[in-house]
Amino acid sequence: MATETKKDTRTAQQAPTVTLTIDGQEVTVPKGTTVLEAALGMGIHVPTFCWHPKLKSVGACRMCYVEIEKMPKLAVSCATEAMDGMVVHTDSDLVKRGRKAVIEFILANHPLDCPTCDKGGECDLQDLTFKHGFDDSRYDFLKMRFTEGAVHTTFDDVRIGPEIILNRNRCILCYKCVRANKEAFGEYDLGAFERGNITEINAAPGREVSNPFSGNLVEICPVGALTNTDWRYKIRVWLTKQARSICPFTSSGTNTLLWKEDHQQKIFRCTSRRNDDIDDGWIADVTRYGWSYVMAEDRLQTPLVKKEGKQVPVSWEEAIDLVARRLTEIDDTKGNVCIGGLINPQLDNESLHAFNKFMRVTIGANNVDHRLDYPMLPAQGDTAYSILSSQPFSIADIDTSDVIVSFGSDMLKEHPNEYLRMRKAYMFRQAKVFTINPYAVKNADIASVDVVYAPGTDEIVVNAICLAAIEEKLVDAGRAAGLKDKIVPNSAAEAAETAGVELDDIKIIARSLADGKQVTFLVGELVARCAEREPIAAAIANLNRLFGLTDKGQVARLARYANSKGAEKLGLTPFPAPEVKAKLERIFGGWPENEALTTDKMLVQMNKEAINAGLVVGANPLLLYPDREFARECLERLDFLVVCDSFETETTAIADVVLPLASWAEYAGDYVNLEGRTQHAEAAIKPRFHSRPALEIIEQLARAMDKPLFESADERRREVAEVLAAQAVLPWPNDYFEVSFDNAAADSEYTIPVFVGDDPHHAGHLTEKSPSLSNFVSEAYVEMSIELAAKLDVKAGDSVRVESEAGKVIVPVKVSDYLDTDAVFLPRNFSSAQVNSLLMRKKRVNRVKITRVAD
Amino acid sequence: MKEIFKALGNVVIKMPQGFYVTFKHLFKKPVTLDYPRKKKPMAPRYRGKHYLERYDDGTERCVCCGLCAAACPADAIYMEPEETEKGERKARVYEINLLRCIFCGFCEEACPEEAIFLGQEYEFSADDRNKFIWTKEDMLVPHPRKDNPFKKILRRVRKVYGTPEATR
Amino acid sequence: MSFYSPVITNAAEVAQSDDLHLFRYVEDPEQHNVDTYEKHGGYVAWKKVLTSMQPDEVIAEVKNSGLRGRGGAGFPTGMKWGFVPKDSPKARYLICNADESEPGTCKDRVIMERDPHAMIEGMAIGAYAIGSHLMFCYIRGEFGHCIDQVEAAMKQAYAKGHLGKNIYGSGYDLDMVVHTGGGAYICGEETALLNSLEGEKGLSRIRPPFPAVAGLYASPTIVNNVETLAAVPHIINRGADWYKTMGTEKSAGSKIFSLTGHVNRPGNYEVPLGFNLKTLIYDEKYGAGIPNGKKLKAVIPGGASTPYLKPDMIDVGLDYESLASVGSMLGSGAIIVLDEDTCIVWSIMKLIHFFRHESCGKCTPCREGTGWLEQLITRIEHGEGRPGDIEKIDDLCGNILGRTICPLGDAAVMPIQSTIKHWRDEWQYHIDHKKCPCANTHEFK
Repeated sequence: MATETKKDTRTAQQAPTVTLTIDGQEVTVPKGTTVLEAALGMGIHVPTFCWHPKLKSVGACRMCYVEIEKMPKLAVSCATEAMDGMVVHTDSDLVKRGRKAVIEFILANHPLDCPTCDKGGECDLQDLTFKHGFDDSRYDFLKMRFTEGAVHTTFDDVRIGPEIILNRNRCILCYKCVRANKEAFGEYDLGAFERGNITEINAAPGREVSNPFSGNLVEICPVGALTNTDWRYKIRVWLTKQARSICPFTSSGTNTLLWKEDHQQKIFRCTSRRNDDIDDGWIADVTRYGWSYVMAEDRLQTPLVKKEGKQVPVSWEEAIDLVARRLTEIDDTKGNVCIGGLINPQLDNESLHAFNKFMRVTIGANNVDHRLDYPMLPAQGDTAYSILSSQPFSIADIDTSDVIVSFGSDMLKEHPNEYLRMRKAYMFRQAKVFTINPYAVKNADIASVDVVYAPGTDEIVVNAICLAAIEEKLVDAGRAAGLKDKIVPNSAAEAAETAGVELDDIKIIARSLADGKQVTFLVGELVARCAEREPIAAAIANLNRLFGLTDKGQVARLARYANSKGAEKLGLTPFPAPEVKAKLERIFGGWPENEALTTDKMLVQMNKEAINAGLVVGANPLLLYPDREFARECLERLDFLVVCDSFETETTAIADVVLPLASWAEYAGDYVNLEGRTQHAEAAIKPRFHSRPALEIIEQLARAMDKPLFESADERRREVAEVLAAQAVLPWPNDYFEVSFDNAAADSEYTIPVFVGDDPHHAGHLTEKSPSLSNFVSEAYVEMSIELAAKLDVKAGDSVRVESEAGKVIVPVKVSDYLDTDAVFLPRNFSSAQVNSLLMRKKRVNRVKITRVAD
Repeated sequence: MKEIFKALGNVVIKMPQGFYVTFKHLFKKPVTLDYPRKKKPMAPRYRGKHYLERYDDGTERCVCCGLCAAACPADAIYMEPEETEKGERKARVYEINLLRCIFCGFCEEACPEEAIFLGQEYEFSADDRNKFIWTKEDMLVPHPRKDNPFKKILRRVRKVYGTPEATR
Repeated sequence: MSFYSPVITNAAEVAQSDDLHLFRYVEDPEQHNVDTYEKHGGYVAWKKVLTSMQPDEVIAEVKNSGLRGRGGAGFPTGMKWGFVPKDSPKARYLICNADESEPGTCKDRVIMERDPHAMIEGMAIGAYAIGSHLMFCYIRGEFGHCIDQVEAAMKQAYAKGHLGKNIYGSGYDLDMVVHTGGGAYICGEETALLNSLEGEKGLSRIRPPFPAVAGLYASPTIVNNVETLAAVPHIINRGADWYKTMGTEKSAGSKIFSLTGHVNRPGNYEVPLGFNLKTLIYDEKYGAGIPNGKKLKAVIPGGASTPYLKPDMIDVGLDYESLASVGSMLGSGAIIVLDEDTCIVWSIMKLIHFFRHESCGKCTPCREGTGWLEQLITRIEHGEGRPGDIEKIDDLCGNILGRTICPLGDAAVMPIQSTIKHWRDEWQYHIDHKKCPCANTHEFK
């Protein structure tokens, strides 16, 4: 309801409009619209090369000429603002001549190697030449050729990034790539050099174009100047078909197209499918290149069953029968509560629901969780953290916010799409951005204030903002009443000192939060993964209440995985929201009576041998659970472990039965993104080898246990729709939370705080199997600041031993200039490094010591 | 009786008349050809077996652009490209299904690199359907055409390029 | 002791004149010193403006004077200053465009070398008029001596309290920054200059928005030429009405013309606008005719980017309107004289080489067009022209003219079009006879 009224007021104060005539049709557009946008909105084709809907106009290509009456010259429509009473002709003779001239100029030095060019067939220059150009060239000189730095001799191709090949001869200098890199992604690894007709686009000297959005540069190139290695010389574009898919790696559910060929049953590439509500047409590289794990040859091919200590391939029937038999046995002998189920929240809605029903009805146990990589989850359902997690969130609202705060979130690594939205709000609407994190993050460069607090003092920072607001009288005194007594410490100055931040910065943030007209407050994984997430969430709830943020914007903890929100809404947690639970109870015809167990509790029970059988679908807890030794110990104690996955992982290695799982591209499914928006992904190809979708496996298991889950597919869909319709948003409480703080002293030997998360080019445990993404980053590293590297006397590339109380890993050093504290970061996506063995689930901040490995 | 005479008349008059034509042809040049010992020369623009052309240095002309396959009305051409060490594009697989091919020559017309042309051969019979699928090796053979009009055309890339220095 | 570039000026004549003002003290070797400048009546206008005039009054005065931009386009200066939004909360900037790189032009250089305080005072007045507290002087990198002079003058001005905090106790703060460019011609174009000043590549920006609304760092910005600003203190001192007495009705004031090429006395001459071009070339006081008694072949009246004039067209007043009436432009005031031995195609080849080299590469027609034209014209000059080349050149020029972001494209093709119009037979001769008629006289080739 709140959001609806907000939208209404926004439409009420609409911007003034102008009315103009384009090709004899009158059109009314908001003031500030360009003539080009007005024409395109009417369905009038105006050719362009350099214009991009999400970038600023530069008017470089001169293709979008229109004739405007009373203007002496041809106007470039992309940079001409529509004015009242304008009379525009987009197809007059003068315009046609102008376009022809531009095409002729562009083609003068364009090599016309279309037969070998991968862009052939989808090239803007081809299309527009066909439509607007001459059929012959008046240019009778040798064409310009750039040979410097070329690796490939014939076509002078230069490899400028792990996945990008540049051909400067084909470049028509629309500057779209350089502009997108700068304006949309905030990256400076690509630039234009020289001037005049020898201008060339190239990677910045000594660098390669490997930023986490580099694939977009290839996609927006209107010619074949930037091509990617994935697509290079694989297939002609007109032989492919597209499946409308959804990104399975990030939680935004960015829309993608999978380009496939039906006869070969192959996927060839993934491109964006612009959806302004979600992704603006930019997709992160992990989305663009992640698909290639689907086509990997080392995927699990058949079910494996452990016989005499060795996993041997068996038929599906045999494997399913065995699993059904063993589960029934354990159910009979030890009771149904002795079976635990973990599922990956990257799977689609129906699989998740089927799993839920399988566990809670067929098995009859309450042991279901999808949150595999969070330690010490709350043992009941209505905590501050649960409330925060359930809050609604809208990506498009980031655009219109004038104050954006990201708290405890390394946005680039966790939520690349929202990271870009923040940049957009900053670049195009001058929004104020604040980043509050325990270590420096990449989006700090757009932040008005970048607060880096001492690790472990998260709630103190939030309290400091509240206290500063009260002290500076920025908020209504009545509203603030009672808060000061409930939180520690007593003054903002003290809090700032404890957290090791500048009081002035905190005051600026407090003032912006109080003054902001529309505020977006994003809470990320650094909070969610922290064992003390409850007090932090309580502090944020207090902040929300104090500033009234939900009334003038949004406060949300961003869901992490492609279908985390769906799993939550479908009740895949031990404690579903009340309405969801009611719906499920009705559908299931009851609710298991045993105590609901979170991932943690399940592992503890396994350790106690109170759970004897485990079912892990599509997940790799050994790699992602933040305490590797504990997880291993627990899972190894199981009598019977079934793991479904697409690849052999450390978890499948200890399983009794391994079932090959189909990837998201091989079956159709619905996914709920972090806004709660349900989106459909089409299947691109048939399941490869003998893999099967999770839904099919679960249904077969249930059938083999003589308890079919659904009567029909319709029933299944109806049930999912019914559960999703339930209200899962928990209301904020009407009072402030108590927030106490207990500052655990740092260990003397282990001093360097360590943060473990996803690499910007990876997500979860599957992407390391993607050859394309491995070209960017293929092994774990320890990322540290220049100062820390100097202190430890190590250089980039040196191997170091990272030790914590729990374990140690040996990884190479990566030095990053944007980090400025002593905290280090390690990516968890690589099974070779076992980074999670450094972590301990009960610790608030894991600390390590780093020593150099002697050569 | 009358019929007997009539029959006799046929034998005596009509048969020699008929045989006259036959005998006449004994001394004429035969219309048919002693195939397969002798073969008829084909018209210069006859469209028969496909050949793939090479450059003088031995590299294949075909860059696997797919235009022949796109132009083919019978959908007889299948190809898969690959990258050479020099970064050039070439065909890894190039197959023509002769059972589908209608020898229209559109592939030759469509080819931007002048790599494929239809030669004079027309003997395709085989005892196995698979043998009708011609691969690259079958078509990249030396061909008997002497006056190759394409030999003189240099590689397109070399023809049109200058260097930045040329105008600097 | 500073080094002066040995440029002939008509300073002596100016000193005797009542009205001419820009060159009055340029031959004084101490004029670059702030003391000398003050002795000669310097910084009086600045003090007057600051103590007794409102910004609007300054703008009105300059508007009344009819002062027009001396950089090339001739846009009325006062009107330009008036475009700065009064209510914008953003900072405003004044930039002095000292990136003088038009071939043949060397007038700003003389002012900067010998009378830098005139420019600084003009800048200060302009900055006050638009409410700017920070002004930039963008000097091209090759002008090493100018940079030294201007920086030294700026330091003196700071020391004397003409710049800095709370100037003359008026409470007005004004700072100045000298920025040196990399020497690109395009950075003399105001939007490219802004990009360059921001630290970006010097590519021109599309307009609108005009710099007066969103220029440097997206803030209101005024970019003025050195000569324009140097005239401003005199206007303030002596009034707009005095300024209007010089020149013609629409082109008021005086202007420095850089006379170069085949004349006996090449140099910088300050004359009132509307001065006769023929007189300037042939009068003994100025150009003193063409060396060796040769005949005149062509005159480029306003720097390399303006259309050529034929000898029968030079009896014309040097002001914006008169030159426009004979199909050319006043431009930056660099008059290049070509004698009868000069090949028109050769001169065009030299020009187009310059423009091709200096094209920034942003918009297609200019980037590709100038390269193509250079190749075509070089081919013709070298006797390899083909029939139809002239028509092709003319057509390509038409495709570039008026189709580019900044005036560089226009500048490159207008001279070509004018020569094809006036000397078509000479172009044709190159193609028909496969040689250049004056090939052996180009000593600079």
